[in-house]
Amino acid sequence: MTIKLFTLLMQAALYTLGISIVSIVIGFAIAILLSAAMLSGKGIYIAPARLFISFFRGVPLLVQLLLIYTLLPVIGINVPSIVAAIIGLSLCTAAYQAENLRGGFDAVPKGLVEAADVTGFNPRQTFFRIRVPIALRLTFPALVNEAIMILKSSSLVSVVGIIELTKMAQDLSSSTYLPIPIFASAGAIYLVINWAIALVAGRVERSLPKVTA
Amino acid sequence: MLKRHFLKTVVGTALLLGTALSAHAADDALARIKAAGVLKVGTETAFAPFDFIDAGEHVGLNVDFFAELGKDLGVKIEWVALPWDSVLPSLEAGKYDIVAGPATITKARLERFKMTSPIAEATVAIMKKAGDTSITKPEDIAGKAVGVGKATAQLEQLKEYSATLPKKVDIHEYVSFNDSYADLAAGRVVAVANSLPNIAFVAKQRNGAFEVVTPGFGKKTYFGFIGKKDDDSKTLVDYVNEETIKMKKDGRLGKLQEKWFGTKFDTPDAITDPAF
Amino acid sequence: MIFDPTVILDKLPEIGSGLLVTLVLWIVGIVGGVVAGFVVASARRFGGMAINGVLGLVVEVLRGTPFLIQVFLLYYGGPFVGLMLDPIPCGLIGLTVYAAAYYSEVFRAGFAAVPPGHVEAAECLGMTRLQTIRRIQIPEMALIVLPPSVNLAVILLKESAVLSVITVPELTTVVSAIGSQQYAFLEAIFVLAVTYWVIVEATDRLGRLAERRLSRLRFSKA
Repeated sequence: MTIKLFTLLMQAALYTLGISIVSIVIGFAIAILLSAAMLSGKGIYIAPARLFISFFRGVPLLVQLLLIYTLLPVIGINVPSIVAAIIGLSLCTAAYQAENLRGGFDAVPKGLVEAADVTGFNPRQTFFRIRVPIALRLTFPALVNEAIMILKSSSLVSVVGIIELTKMAQDLSSSTYLPIPIFASAGAIYLVINWAIALVAGRVERSLPKVTA
Repeated sequence: MLKRHFLKTVVGTALLLGTALSAHAADDALARIKAAGVLKVGTETAFAPFDFIDAGEHVGLNVDFFAELGKDLGVKIEWVALPWDSVLPSLEAGKYDIVAGPATITKARLERFKMTSPIAEATVAIMKKAGDTSITKPEDIAGKAVGVGKATAQLEQLKEYSATLPKKVDIHEYVSFNDSYADLAAGRVVAVANSLPNIAFVAKQRNGAFEVVTPGFGKKTYFGFIGKKDDDSKTLVDYVNEETIKMKKDGRLGKLQEKWFGTKFDTPDAITDPAF
Repeated sequence: MIFDPTVILDKLPEIGSGLLVTLVLWIVGIVGGVVAGFVVASARRFGGMAINGVLGLVVEVLRGTPFLIQVFLLYYGGPFVGLMLDPIPCGLIGLTVYAAAYYSEVFRAGFAAVPPGHVEAAECLGMTRLQTIRRIQIPEMALIVLPPSVNLAVILLKESAVLSVITVPELTTVVSAIGSQQYAFLEAIFVLAVTYWVIVEATDRLGRLAERRLSRLRFSKA
């Protein structure tokens, strides 16, 4: 392991981090939409949302990524590698985040929702001002876990042409014939990023107001 | 309401613009590439010495070749690197204009794709661990574990060859040839079957660890780049053909071959009836 | 482009063998992971600080790094330290170890969720530690650990597709190879997506069914 190799890994790790962060954020927005659909009580919203969650939880990310990369052009949407990677990760994490949020929404005290209704909140206000913040607070640890999962899953996006940390490690391993130090270093980088996420998340969580279901 | 109306206008304008643009755009691949100033090339970066990653950098004969081609055409080259088994499907899906690879020019591929003028020989041979005396000629791989790349013509040739041997070869298919070299070093396979220019390069690079077993076992074949077969791509494939022949005549291709293979190949201008 | 999954489905026997490898890897991975995970969780809870610390670190490392990196390290790094595993054993070990790390966390949470009062009561009744674990903690834990365990099983099935990178002849490997031989790449991906999806859906349903059964058996509410 030379400094040069390690620098290359660190540069690739920036890709990993960037793609993961963007995907988590987009995935969260989609997850909120999915939750809204699930809570709407209307079949025409619930059915597609349920199908979405079932599909993206049920198919390996590797397969999803290939589908997005090579199937979308067939229906006229040709996206470059980076977009395909972000779409794949976002949709996948959206399904998982929606599942997590569902638990949170279920735990939002009924009384609070009723109180909001009585006070004259319209359903959208109740959803965004009461249900979402409380559900998010309740499921925050699960969200952090999911962020870590996505960071790790981003190791698969090289199948659509992105050179991120794992792919870089693979390339370096085959040109230097040093699999152990290189893969171990790559693993260590993932670990450090994940620990950092957990540390920051812990701080954030402590600063959030306490909610008991 | 206002918002919705605004959205409609934007979408409508965009659609109109899109139609107008595509109507005015040049109507074949080469003209579009020239207009865009970018040629998108798909490849796999685990196929030394054509495309590989050396200390984090994408290098190889393909990179040099397309740099020359880009200079002549006046466009930038944009590389898209995928695992080999999705390189050709992604060409068909329109992810890029042409595939570097290169790929062995075979009968099966000519049915599906247009292959450009050969840039090197592709005849398949065996590479073994240096000093392995149990393999001295190709037929010695009968009944033994041999590595090869997934979705490659080398795999098809190895299968065909295996069927002629008294004992079938235990074929291990790898995502990339790089992985098969790693397993040859580890000892999970006793040989790797790949084209001569590739294994000659790898054997030299890994000074002393690997050895090429000559002669090759496969039929004499050649490497070319791969384009789509439709009319739209014809101008592009023709252009790459002309460029290859031009570079061959003015000595640039020979220099590249010297640089990357350490030897020059005599390649025909076109392959219409491949041996395999 | 013509979309025709029958080109893939013509190769049913090959797909079947790939599916079989996937299912065996998956089930062995789950069973091995549950057993090892339970041992690890118990050791961490009852084995003292040092054991808890060391095992905790190992679990953190396994959970904090991509499965792909672990597999590469085991498969390509192994031979450098004299650990030469064939693809299938390597995949099995990799998947089981990965599963064990996650299951150990599930069980740890399960242990923590059993009210201390119940354990104390068992001790007062003269149960040994082993008896307490077997008769009180495990039954009470079962309901708590079931949903995350099913979720984990689903994740493991999908992770097993990653083993195609080390040439394990599992479903993804086999179907994508057929796809490239037949120039039916899209069809292959489609067949893969549907097959995994069906298994996951079935697993989920089975899990929910088991959950309902178990909650009926539950004797006391914490």
